[in-house]
Amino acid sequence: MKLLCVDSEPAYREIISLCAQEENLEVHTASTYKEAMEAFLEHEPDIVTLDVLIKGGNAFNLVKEFKAIAGERLVPIVFVTSNSSDLMMDQCFVIGADDFIPKPFNEQLFNIRLKAHMRNVQLMQEMYGKNKTLTYFQTMIEREHEMAHQVLNHIQNRNEINTRNLAVTRLSAASFNGDLALVKTRIDNSTLIFVGDFTGHGLSASIGALPIMQAFFDAVDELTEVSDLVTQINRMLLSILPDYMFCAGYLMLISEQGEISYWGGGMPDALILRDSGSLDAISSNHMPLGILPIHEFESDFHTSQLHDGDTLLIASDGVLELKNNKNEMLGKELLKAYISQAYSNNEEDLRVSQFNMEKKLSRYLGECEQLDDITLVAYKKART
Amino acid sequence: MSISIATDDKKDYVTITIIGNFDFSLFNDFRNAYTDLEKSYSLYIVDISNVEYLDSAALGMLLSMKNTVSGNATIQLKGANDFIKNILMISRFDKRFDIK
Repeated sequence: MKLLCVDSEPAYREIISLCAQEENLEVHTASTYKEAMEAFLEHEPDIVTLDVLIKGGNAFNLVKEFKAIAGERLVPIVFVTSNSSDLMMDQCFVIGADDFIPKPFNEQLFNIRLKAHMRNVQLMQEMYGKNKTLTYFQTMIEREHEMAHQVLNHIQNRNEINTRNLAVTRLSAASFNGDLALVKTRIDNSTLIFVGDFTGHGLSASIGALPIMQAFFDAVDELTEVSDLVTQINRMLLSILPDYMFCAGYLMLISEQGEISYWGGGMPDALILRDSGSLDAISSNHMPLGILPIHEFESDFHTSQLHDGDTLLIASDGVLELKNNKNEMLGKELLKAYISQAYSNNEEDLRVSQFNMEKKLSRYLGECEQLDDITLVAYKKART
Repeated sequence: MSISIATDDKKDYVTITIIGNFDFSLFNDFRNAYTDLEKSYSLYIVDISNVEYLDSAALGMLLSMKNTVSGNATIQLKGANDFIKNILMISRFDKRFDIK
């Protein structure tokens, strides 16, 4: 660390230099305004001591110049002066002095003050360094999240377009949290739906999404069975993902007649709003995908039935864990109430119902920031 | 520290206690908690009675622990609150862990 001592009196330049060298400071001295400016520019000192009276210029101006040159760097300015009136001290602090020591001074005391300033400088330097590192990583993570979003958007572009009977909503949060929704109608008019939720955030959460997408759309073309597709996805994720990552998900196939075959692992209940207004739940009862080895994996699926006018709703846990300004989570019961209202059969077009649901969720959220992505898939069995 | 470790070599078990939120921020500390032990144990108790919230990253960390400790060892998840118990059951962690 370096100290610049600006003093017109040779005796004080010597005393201060000796004191500072005791603290292992590299010392530079200057006796005039011009010398001081040159020394400051050349040596970039970490601490400056100076007298109020200096030859060839005004010490207060000098301080202003130093501060301007130092910019964001902390350079403590310690006035050491014989003019120790209260007025002078006030003036020194007003223009930005960090300390004020009257001459003559006790050398021990001087060194204690010097050490305190050295500690400050060191702390600031460490903080500055850490801050720089943090900013670097933050920027990197933001870029990665953008990339993940782009990857995911690309995938979902292949989805079915929303219709009177099918609506998929993703409300993106600032960071991608691993939600994935794939929907496609097969040639036999059955609809294949995958709603998944990967562990983790950002780019790492999106790694598994690409192969799932590929397998999903291949399965649409090849009319693959639910059990076979889910086994395939599990096997893929098991080999791709590290052991601390998995994907909770529903895979559902809904026939034109409304018969649902579904496999669910690690997902909150999906709901069926019946034409009559009552609600039934579909539960996932397996471990999430990408955990169990092939011989332990259970691919058995369950069935349920949609009748005319029934609506099936799959929401990611981002919906259930949506927090309002009182930090309360939305939760199951309120979600059920919202669904009953938004998707009531007074409205035949699912897109309108979905829009109403989004409005309810955003009203619940209020001014709060949405932390997680929200995925909402709705399928309505048309009246025949 | 939000993770503390207590070993009992005579009774052959170790208790890893977690306090606060169990999430991604504990990734390294949690892994070190069971990999830095001097020997392996037949029972690992993860005490989560002071954990309020646990996210899917924490579930992943538990699965990773299951893969790392020896095959015959039991991992017990102790003291989960209702919210966390629900998360554990939805993901069927009862198939791999002893949930108390």
